Amino acid sequence: MSQEKQSLVDIWGDNVNLKDLLIAMAICVALALGGFIIAPGDDPQPLIFGLVGGVLGFIISSIIIKPKRVVEHVEEEES
Amino acid sequence: MDPVIIIQVIIAAVLGAGLYTLIGIAPGTDETAVLAPVTIALVLLGFSPYVIVAFFMSAIVAKKLTDSIPVAVAGIPGGVMSAPMVEHAMTLKEHGIPNTSIKKMSSGSVIGTLVAVPLSFIVASLILPYADVISEHSGLIFTLGAVFLALLAKNKILSLLVIVPFAILLQGLQHLYWGLEIIPGDTSVFVSFFLGITIGPIVFSLVELINKNHRDNLPFLDKKDIKIRKGEKEEGVPNPFKILDRKEAGSSAAGSVLGTLTFFLTPVGMTVFIGEFITRHIKDPVKRASRALATMDGVTNASYIAGTLIPLIAIGLPLSPMAIGPAAGLFNSPPEYTPENNIHHLLSGTEILIVTVIGVAVALLITYYIIIRFAPQIVGFVFKFIPHEALIGLFAGLVVMLAFMDAGFINIFGTLLVALVAGLLYRNGVNYGVMFMVLYAAPWLLGLFG
Repeated sequence: MSQEKQSLVDIWGDNVNLKDLLIAMAICVALALGGFIIAPGDDPQPLIFGLVGGVLGFIISSIIIKPKRVVEHVEEEES
Repeated sequence: MDPVIIIQVIIAAVLGAGLYTLIGIAPGTDETAVLAPVTIALVLLGFSPYVIVAFFMSAIVAKKLTDSIPVAVAGIPGGVMSAPMVEHAMTLKEHGIPNTSIKKMSSGSVIGTLVAVPLSFIVASLILPYADVISEHSGLIFTLGAVFLALLAKNKILSLLVIVPFAILLQGLQHLYWGLEIIPGDTSVFVSFFLGITIGPIVFSLVELINKNHRDNLPFLDKKDIKIRKGEKEEGVPNPFKILDRKEAGSSAAGSVLGTLTFFLTPVGMTVFIGEFITRHIKDPVKRASRALATMDGVTNASYIAGTLIPLIAIGLPLSPMAIGPAAGLFNSPPEYTPENNIHHLLSGTEILIVTVIGVAVALLITYYIIIRFAPQIVGFVFKFIPHEALIGLFAGLVVMLAFMDAGFINIFGTLLVALVAGLLYRNGVNYGVMFMVLYAAPWLLGLFG
């Protein structure tokens, strides 16, 4: 975390860091659109390349960005 | 149907259930945004209609089963639809029986599914004789649909007021693309406008954040604290009829029948309404909460399944909030499917029934079993390892790519424009349903002025 604690924003039902979100969007858009454009063959090849690119982007972003959640496991007895 | 197709159908159902068990848990995921792009992509990739239907039905059942799980385990809704259930799940949590929520909800889902599939086919066969009349006047019906949904919206006046302007925006872009000869005169842009509307609220929130004043005025938000409760281990295959008592099973089934019959209304509205209505008279808070949870999950599931199946089998036009939203790909994914040539035309009613039953059965077996046993572990995995940023990024990537595919670079900006307007309207109380109906109604509606 950076020294100055930055506020998260609530987008689409969960808290995100704006900078991380922009990074994830940039990676996914670049790979999806890039895959679509560079695909050498005819239909539906561009779409396949694009989808694979999007999923790759998702995996890369999942690795480099940490979820903004603190998960705690608690034991709870049923009464 | 030959065995090869049956095997493909089963594989599709397994993949659909697996994928949407995880997605269902991710917080805040909107049904349309997570289901429609994937279904549309599968259609455009040229998969057989059997595979598409099985995948979709399995996905929707898995998603419905799982999106109530974070409510029970961590008190936050997994989807728009599970928001009304938070209150009741909290009641059970306060009384120290949080694991009961999961069991009651997923058992309610199972009952909803079991009621909705056969009943949808009966309702569809009753509508079938009028199908030709309905499709002949589809433009008029979509327009009336927009008006009807506008009257149910939060902001009725604005919803009614924007029908024509929003149609002008969509048709205006369409004619611009034709005029610039970006797309040939016989094709029209649908998928990207549809997704533009879907991601509207996200885009609008992001654009607001560009404004520094707005950013500074937001309350400080820290990481979300999520406590996951470990439940006791379940042995054997869970049986929904043992988990629910007779009254709970009864009201869940009754709610599901109502949810199926009101397939043309908005599922969220019906869930809240039926759930509260059926349980209003119960005094004991614990009994009331468990019955409400079982019923609400039954209703949501039923209205989702019925909303997809009935229009699909009877008419072939997306005439329900469900069909026009999450299931849109089954009705219209040009150039593969169009309102004149989609699943309705490619498969017979019986074929849709068989494939649906396979898809639903696979999803119920896999997801229900997994959920009852491993709910805390799965929720822990999703919350710990899947950043929300990556999910939003993925959808942004898909939308931009599909926009480019529809009509080149200019359409990325066109879709952004649609998203901004849709987001602004959504923020001010205009339902998705109204905007989706306008998307279908626009050519006919504006044709009236010509």
